[in-house]
Amino acid sequence: MFEELMSIFMGDSVNIPLIQPIVDTLMGIPLINLIVAFILWRPIFHILVIPGLLGITIILLWIVYWERKLTARVQWRVGPKEVARRAGGVIQTLADGIRYFFQEVIAHRDAHKLYFIQFPLISFLPVLLPLLFIPAGSVWGIRTIYALPIALALISLIPVFILGMGWASNNKFAYIGTVREAFIYFAYEIPFIISVIAMTVIYETADFFEIVAKQSIIPGVFINPIAFIVFLITLLIATSRLPFDIPEADQEIAFGPYVEYSGILFGLVMTLPYEKLYLLSLISVILFFGGWNGPAIPILGDLAPALWLFIKAFIFMSIVSLTRSIYGRYRIDQTLKMGWSKIMALSIIGLILSAGVAIW
Amino acid sequence: MEEYPLELAITPPREYEVYFVPVPKELLEDSYKSDDFVVFVGPQHGGSGHMRLIVRVKGDFIVEVIPDPGYVHRSMEKLAETKLYIQNIPLFERPSIIDFGNYNLGYVRAIENALDIEVPERAKYIRTLLAELGRIGTHLYDAGILAVFIGHTTGFMWPFAVREFITEIFARITGTRVTGSFIIPGGVRRDVDEKTLSAIKRMTYAMEHRLKKFERIFIKNPNTIARLKGVGVLTKEEAAKFGVVGPFVRACGIEYDVRAIEPYEAYDEIDWEVVVGTEGDSYTRFLVRVEEINQSLNMIRQLVDNMPEGEVISNDIFSFDKKDIRGSFFEAYADLVLPEGEYTTLTEAARGTLLYTIVSDGESTMPYRVRIITPGWMYLRGFMEACKGHRLADLQAIYGSFGYFPPEADR
Repeated sequence: MFEELMSIFMGDSVNIPLIQPIVDTLMGIPLINLIVAFILWRPIFHILVIPGLLGITIILLWIVYWERKLTARVQWRVGPKEVARRAGGVIQTLADGIRYFFQEVIAHRDAHKLYFIQFPLISFLPVLLPLLFIPAGSVWGIRTIYALPIALALISLIPVFILGMGWASNNKFAYIGTVREAFIYFAYEIPFIISVIAMTVIYETADFFEIVAKQSIIPGVFINPIAFIVFLITLLIATSRLPFDIPEADQEIAFGPYVEYSGILFGLVMTLPYEKLYLLSLISVILFFGGWNGPAIPILGDLAPALWLFIKAFIFMSIVSLTRSIYGRYRIDQTLKMGWSKIMALSIIGLILSAGVAIW
Repeated sequence: MEEYPLELAITPPREYEVYFVPVPKELLEDSYKSDDFVVFVGPQHGGSGHMRLIVRVKGDFIVEVIPDPGYVHRSMEKLAETKLYIQNIPLFERPSIIDFGNYNLGYVRAIENALDIEVPERAKYIRTLLAELGRIGTHLYDAGILAVFIGHTTGFMWPFAVREFITEIFARITGTRVTGSFIIPGGVRRDVDEKTLSAIKRMTYAMEHRLKKFERIFIKNPNTIARLKGVGVLTKEEAAKFGVVGPFVRACGIEYDVRAIEPYEAYDEIDWEVVVGTEGDSYTRFLVRVEEINQSLNMIRQLVDNMPEGEVISNDIFSFDKKDIRGSFFEAYADLVLPEGEYTTLTEAARGTLLYTIVSDGESTMPYRVRIITPGWMYLRGFMEACKGHRLADLQAIYGSFGYFPPEADR
C-alpha cells in the first residue's frame, strides 16, 4: 500500500531545487519518506505550506505586529518593542497568542454553550475551503474553470459564522453588532461581486490561471481602475477595517459579536477578519496585480510563483493597514447609504467600462 | 407603520434586579414589552467613562438616555468642612486635575473676596497664565477623547502628545505635571523666572505648528465631519433652558463667558475674543474649543510679553520673602479665619462656568459649608437631551463633543 501511496504522492509533487538535497536524504529513510512525499504532494503543499496554513500563520503573525507598529509610528509612538527587543518586537503577536492560549475560556451562563464554543472553531472552514480554489502558480489545490465564483461564494460564508457567534453570545451588544454585520453584509457584497464580474468580463474567463496569463503585460488595475477602487473599498468594509469598523466598534458596542469571547476563543475570532483580509488580498492580487507573474527564480522551482503571489499579497495587506491610522469610523447608516448608492453606481460604471474594453 | 405590542409573559432580565438600576421598573418592563431595547452603557464599557448611561433605543434611534452618575463621587463638599481653608486648595482641584489653575482660582478668589486681599499685578498675570495653560490642556484632552470615541486613534494620540508641552510647562512653573495647587490666597506660591517665560512663549509656536498637523488629520478629516456635523444639535433656546455652560453654550450662539462679563485677574488687560458658534451641533462644539485653544495661545503670548515686574505675594499676607512663600506658609495661613458671611465667585473653567460658595461662621478655621458647582454637572442635562433622536452610534460622538468628564461632574 505504501508503494501505491508513494507513487500517488510522487506522481504530482512539488519540485524545489533548493531543498532537493535534503528531500533526497529524507527519501532514503522509511516512513519519513512517506511524510515528506505527502507534504510535497501538490494539493497538500498548497493547503499546508503556501499559500495555505503556514502562509496564513506568517501573515497573521506579521500583519498584527505590522499594523500596531505602523499605527504607532504615525502616532508619534514606538509600538510593540518589549518582546524581543533587538528585533524590534517582531514576535509580539506570538507572545499575545500564547497569552490567549493560557487564558481561561469563559462560556457564560446565558450563552448557547455548544454553538458559542463551536462557531469560532468551525469558522476556519470558510477560510480554508476557498484557499483550495485559489492557486499559486504551479502550486494548486483544486483546479477548475469555476474557481473564482466558488472561492467568492465560500468567502461570503464568513459573515454567517459571525452572525452565529453573535447569536450564541446572547448579549445585547453582541446582538447589536450582529445586526450591524448583517446590514453591512448586504451593502458591500453586491458591489463587490459586480466589481469582480467586471474583471471577469475583461478577462473573459473565471479561471485564475488564464486571468494571470492575460495580465502578463498590463496588470488589471490599469485596465479597469474603477473596479479596483470599488474592490478596495468593499474589501475594507468586508474585513471590518477602519473607517468601516462598524460591527465591532469597540467604543460603541465593545467588539460587537465577539464581546463575550475570552481566552483562545477570542484569539481565534480576532484573527477571522485578518484571515478574510488575506483571502481577499490573494484574490485582488490575482485580479488586479498580475497574480504570480514575476521574475523567474530557477533555484526555487515551483515555489517561485507562489512566493511572488504571497509577497504581493503581503505588501497589499501592509498598505491596507494604513487606513487604520488615517480615518475614524463611519456610522452604519452612512455606510449603508454609501454602499447602496455611490459604491454601487461606481461598480456599475466599472462594469460598463469593462464591457467597453471587452468589445474593443 | 402600525405597531403590534406583544402580549407575552414578561420576566425582566436578571440584571434589572441584581444591579442597582436607578430607573423605575415599569419603564424597563414597558420598553421590554414594546419594540424598544434598553442598553446599559457602562460603567465598565469602552465608551462610557466612569458612569452608566441607560439608553433606550427604538431600532437604531435613541429615545431616551438616563444618566447614572456618581461612580467617582468623593463627597468633596463634606470633606471641605473638616479641613483648614488652605488645605482645601488641593482638595478642590481634584474634580479636574488637568485644569487645576481655574479650579484653584475660583476657590482662592472667594477667600480673597472675604478677606479683602489685594493681589499684586505679577501674581495676577501668573494666575491667568496657569488658567489659560490649563484650558488648552483640557481642550486637547477632550479632543483626544472625542477622537477615540469616533474610532480615530491618531486623533487620540496626537493631542495627548501635544498636551505634553503643557504638562512640561506646568512642571517647570509649579514642580508637578498636574495638581499644581499653585495659587494661594494673596498671590502664587513662587515667582516664575524669565527663562521659563521665554520657554512658554516658544512652546506656543511649537504647539501651533503641531496643531496645524492635527487639523489636517482630524479636524478637517471628511470622516470626522461626516460623524459630527448635524449630530446632537441643541438650539439656542434649548441650551439656555437646560443650563448648558461654557464652550458648549457658546457653540449654540449664546455669547456668555465669565471672563468677558465679570473679568477677573488679568483678563481685562489683554486682547481676546469670545468664541461663539452658530450651529449648536457636535462639530461646532468641537470647533469652538479648537478656536479657544488658538485664543488661549494668543493670550499666553500677550501675558508673557506684558508680564509686570514686582512681588507675587500680597502685602496683606505675612511672608519673609515676597517672591516665594516657602518657609512662612504655616505662619501665613494656619489660622486663616473668614469673616462671617457667604462668598461666591464665578470662574470660567475650561469646560464652563465654575461656581464656588464659601459659607463662614466667622470663628472657625474651617469653612462652615462650601458649595461647588462644576460645569460637567451643569451640562449633563443638555448632553442627555442632545442625544435624543440620534443613532446609537452617535451617543459616543455626542459624549465626546461635550467632553463630559465624570470626575468633574461627580465632585
